[in-house]
Amino acid sequence: MRNFLTYKYNNLYPLLAILTGLTIVIFGLVYAQHYECTYFLVAVYLLSFLFINYKTCLKGLIFLAIFGSFFFLFTYLSSSSIDQSVFMVNRIASFTVGMLPGMSVGAERLTRNLSQIRMPRGMVIGLLIVFSFMPTLTEEIKRIKEAMKTRGSYNILNPKVLYRAFLIPFITRIVDISDTLSLSIETRGFDLKSKNYTIYRKEYLTIYDVLFLLAIIAIIVLVTVL
Amino acid sequence: MKKVIDVKNLSFKYADEYVLKAVNFSINEGEFVLLTGGSGEGKSTLIYLLSGIIPNLIYGEASGEIDINDRNIINKKVSEICIDVGIVLQNADNQIIEKYVEDELAFGGENLGLKKETIEQKISLISKIFKLDRKAVCRKLSGGQKQKLITGSTLLMGQKIIILDEPLANLDEESSIDLMRILLSLTKKGFTVIVAEHRIDLIKPYVSKILKIENKSVIEMDISTYNQEEIKRIIINDINQKHCKNPIFSFKDINYSVKDKTILSNLSFDIYQGERALLLGENGIGKTTLMRVIAKLNKVKSGYVSYLKDGEKTLNKPDKKWFKKVGVIYQNPNYQLFMKTVKDEIYFNAFNKDYADYIIKLFSLEKLCDRHPQSLSEGQKRKVTIATILAMKPEVLLLDEPTVGQDYNSLKKLVEILNKIHEETGNTMITITHDKRCAEALCDRALLLKKADFLIEGDKSLVKEYFRY
Repeated sequence: MRNFLTYKYNNLYPLLAILTGLTIVIFGLVYAQHYECTYFLVAVYLLSFLFINYKTCLKGLIFLAIFGSFFFLFTYLSSSSIDQSVFMVNRIASFTVGMLPGMSVGAERLTRNLSQIRMPRGMVIGLLIVFSFMPTLTEEIKRIKEAMKTRGSYNILNPKVLYRAFLIPFITRIVDISDTLSLSIETRGFDLKSKNYTIYRKEYLTIYDVLFLLAIIAIIVLVTVL
Repeated sequence: MKKVIDVKNLSFKYADEYVLKAVNFSINEGEFVLLTGGSGEGKSTLIYLLSGIIPNLIYGEASGEIDINDRNIINKKVSEICIDVGIVLQNADNQIIEKYVEDELAFGGENLGLKKETIEQKISLISKIFKLDRKAVCRKLSGGQKQKLITGSTLLMGQKIIILDEPLANLDEESSIDLMRILLSLTKKGFTVIVAEHRIDLIKPYVSKILKIENKSVIEMDISTYNQEEIKRIIINDINQKHCKNPIFSFKDINYSVKDKTILSNLSFDIYQGERALLLGENGIGKTTLMRVIAKLNKVKSGYVSYLKDGEKTLNKPDKKWFKKVGVIYQNPNYQLFMKTVKDEIYFNAFNKDYADYIIKLFSLEKLCDRHPQSLSEGQKRKVTIATILAMKPEVLLLDEPTVGQDYNSLKKLVEILNKIHEETGNTMITITHDKRCAEALCDRALLLKKADFLIEGDKSLVKEYFRY
């Protein structure tokens, strides 16, 4: 059994992480107009440090600090009400804190988990491609910008240069990648439509998932009752 | 012996142009077949036909019969064909779907419904044979490692017929030989293997049959006499250009790492003005990273000095002037082509119009001048990319695997052109290649990257030793 201190983050059961995140968002939005919501969100945020990678938690805090401050100021300037401004921050914080469990789960684990509950294979692979395409896109943009420079095209703000030296190679690469990827997927038997496909690595609920869920429920009950 | 593939009167045309016409051949169980022919002759088209990609996913008009295990597969779905036929496509980089190596290896086996224990056993075996870290992130692998990964993923599926389209592109010598040995051992167990490759020097000792595509048809060649020329090294007469002993780049204890992974550590060496340096090393050792450091595309914190601009010893960001002096040729040519025609491409930022015309003539690109660069074959695109960079007349030329996808004649011509330009301009040329046929002909001095912190310098004898000539 994993020791709590050496517990590897990112190991929340993916579907539980998504459902818990949704619960936090919904509860936060429903109770946003109460100060108790702030206590709830602070408690869940602190709890997240125990179960979710601290870097993910800190990223969330930075996001909240920037957007929370902006919306606090914006609401205060338009309504002159501290209460309304805090409630607005509650809404932003609900989304931020609610996203943390989901952010801690890798796309590959989520798709694996969706396969386990026999979600249609096409949808699972579609999701996996969407998730994995983001880093690919970022990398492609970086490489094309570099390649532009090696050909002496520097001014990306010039529409002509942007079109020729950036957009054309970019679109060509995207089309090329998606074409080859679809060939590769088909030739590796994805389209067999067999319900007997194997899931090489499965996701399992652990005691830590149960503890996380119970802790969230306890916080919700406490906030609601008190 | 049982006939597993029987092609009868097969023709295929894109638009109105025939790529293959009335092709007939057969392949028996347990045969190891080399499919050869010039660039653009139709090797990939034939492979696509054998695996059902044509006409299912790439359209065109196919007629005739392809019997696989006595079943005509024309108009059968790819998913039906893939139960019998495993295929490794070109461009491994574009085919990766999963995040981690072990998941990518498992993908095909999962789809075929192999037992979890079988998948696990095969992953352990394949990752061991191909020296892949099963927990590694796929996107972080080198070009050669990605090629191994995609090949391994197909081998895991275990079909009895395996087709590989240029599987040795980007693989180092040792990995190529390992792959050939694995394929050979599979044929001894009754598997049938078809490999389309330009690297005849590496593959010929292992194959039992050679099929050559020429003039739209497929001819069986006699192995014992087949084109001995193509397995030889390219010998170039001594270059007149004498390189001097002034360093153009100096590296002192350079380090480069990505997240936790150290790629280069405390490396020190010089590149001398006017020399032809050859960068050697196995797949994933950091050759491309090192070349990118030289080009200032990867930044090192200290220890890098360039004497390229008068008196400049700088770690500044590379600007337009820098890339006029330092020509970089990428492994993948698609990134560097963006003009409407090949001619515009070569004229773009060229040294001058006359020089661009001279380069066009040298590469015999006159007939392709009005073509759109993206409509060319991979080998032609690579040639055009090299021509566009050479037309800029850079003082330093960095070539990352310039010979991939070139047939032997194109390879020979490319080496001759590079050396001719080197002789005429006195440029400094730094090349990465795994192709032993041309390595020596592109080298005055060799740098062998053995480990992140261990680089051996030597002359041509180091090349001979590395490639075991």
